[in-house]
Amino acid sequence: MDENKVIICRCEDVTLKEIRNAIREGFTTVEEIKRVTRSGMGPCQGKTCGLLIAKEISQMTGKPMEELELQNIRPPYGGITFEEVTKGTITENNK
Amino acid sequence: MSKIENLELLVVGGGPAGLSAALAAANYGIKVSLAEEREFLGGQLIKQTHRFFGSEKEYAGTRGIDILRKLIDEVNKNKNIEVLLSSRVLGIYEDNVVTILNDHKMKKYYPQSIIFATGASEKFLAFENNDLPGIFGAGAVQTLMNVYGVLPATNVLMIGSGNIGLIVSYQLLQAGVKVAAIVEAAPKIGGYSVHASKLRRLGVPILTSHTIKKAIGKEKVEGAVICELDSNWNEVKDTEQLIKCDAICLSVGLTPLVDLLKQRKVKTNYVSELGGYVPLRDENMETSIKNLFVAGDVSGIEEATAAMIEGQIAGLSVAKRIGKNNKREIEKRIEDAKNELELLRSGPVGKKIRKGLFKLGLNHGKNYNENFSEEALDISHLMKTGVPSEENLKNKLPSEEKVFDKGPIAISECFQRFPCDPCVKSCPFNAISENGNINNIPYVDFEKCTGCGICVSKCPGLAMFVVHKNFSETTSVVIMPYEFLPRPHRGEIVKVLDREGKYLCDGKVIRILDGKFQDKTAAVSIEIPKEYYLQARNFKVEE
Repeated sequence: MDENKVIICRCEDVTLKEIRNAIREGFTTVEEIKRVTRSGMGPCQGKTCGLLIAKEISQMTGKPMEELELQNIRPPYGGITFEEVTKGTITENNK
Repeated sequence: MSKIENLELLVVGGGPAGLSAALAAANYGIKVSLAEEREFLGGQLIKQTHRFFGSEKEYAGTRGIDILRKLIDEVNKNKNIEVLLSSRVLGIYEDNVVTILNDHKMKKYYPQSIIFATGASEKFLAFENNDLPGIFGAGAVQTLMNVYGVLPATNVLMIGSGNIGLIVSYQLLQAGVKVAAIVEAAPKIGGYSVHASKLRRLGVPILTSHTIKKAIGKEKVEGAVICELDSNWNEVKDTEQLIKCDAICLSVGLTPLVDLLKQRKVKTNYVSELGGYVPLRDENMETSIKNLFVAGDVSGIEEATAAMIEGQIAGLSVAKRIGKNNKREIEKRIEDAKNELELLRSGPVGKKIRKGLFKLGLNHGKNYNENFSEEALDISHLMKTGVPSEENLKNKLPSEEKVFDKGPIAISECFQRFPCDPCVKSCPFNAISENGNINNIPYVDFEKCTGCGICVSKCPGLAMFVVHKNFSETTSVVIMPYEFLPRPHRGEIVKVLDREGKYLCDGKVIRILDGKFQDKTAAVSIEIPKEYYLQARNFKVEE
């Protein structure tokens, strides 16, 4: 299998090779791998790659899936415009 | 900043679980706001043109899209429910404030209780060139076809033989798309056998113990390389084969969409039987955060019927807690719903779910009746191939050949224990029975059966046939369910097929029942040479 041709994160175009390299370098949580590879930072927020990365970590480190966590998820869940954010702030300050 | 709106109950997600939850609570006077991120309600039901399994009480035998119509109708009529469409919940914060993006504005809400019915997302698969255009998730294919009327391709390779993979394959065929094969890595078919048999009768190969190695193509998918797997899931040498196709459809499972729950730091556990990371919750669907409930696929991957019942339990639990009256009545209804769920999960196909729930520390109060947890027949051959064994058939045919002499009789080709009863409920002569448990295999009482053919159109798995052996000196008639277009004409000669989709003989169409009652599953009577009455189970209309 050509690891360079297997895409794990479709949003950020991260390959299996990059994920495996990261794990070999000692990044063994989904959150760490997200930070070093950008996987899971795209529009789908890790819905495609999260489980695949967890499985890869589990296979390479021998840690069972039950002991692994997915990446952190914080609000907001989807994109919002800066206008919406700033509008809110201005109103607040003017109160 | 905009003011915070107080709510009694916020339901997130307008699919079967969310709609049921909203209705259950609203019917007891709770003011419900239902937020759905899309511009229409329905969740996955909106594309489910097939009939549902499950108990008749929960709409079994009805098409998903028709169930949806009923639910939406009820929701729209209910004055206690405010529907927020195109409203994506963006955040839930530690103080339980929820933000919803609606009309490009981020609004803040403070609900007394929340039910998350956010559903699931599709799993993805790692193989070479898995980013080529033409690689779809099964849900996307179904949405394209059944919601927007767009054909995804002309020849699809399906990866995964769970119910979604099987159902979407069948719907592709209905839409006129070829299905090259269904590839399944496990040694047995994942979905219900009746769905698999339907596809085999149409000539679609189901390759168990096979996997996809890579997609082939320059600009887009032109084919796929698949190979065989041994019992340890390792590739068997020299078994690679190229399958030509212009799309690859991935149906390799769903995983709960817990993103919002994780924002609120709801505890989740990895439970493979339930699809991935699932929220810890109690029997009333309440999570580790008080007044925060879950329902449907987000609480663990199951069927839509289970999602609707879970929705009811969550909705009723909220009503019981914050409502003023009817507490005893609500308790009784929660109990009933729990029993219904337990019954649905009590068969062999519910085994995985039961194991998963057990890992979450749930057993729904009682121990399941283990009598129903094993298959009644040896269906290993059927689950490997999609075709029933001789042994299986013998078990469901009349024990004495002379029973066929009495006239037309219904033959049930349903061999697997799973919760489903429309055949039983449809028979006006009480000739079909599953012995008091919805998980039992239905058997036909040939004494009572008149061969009327009602069950042929009512079975969601297309597993009911009527056989009239002695139609004439030399011919028999088989009534078969038919869900394809164009419909055959009376008098037309069609190609009659066996259970593997192989050509048997020519047959003559002598009757078509295709009215409102049949609900698009026509019952077609085909006259065939007598020797084939036990083999003829499908037919093809020549273009």
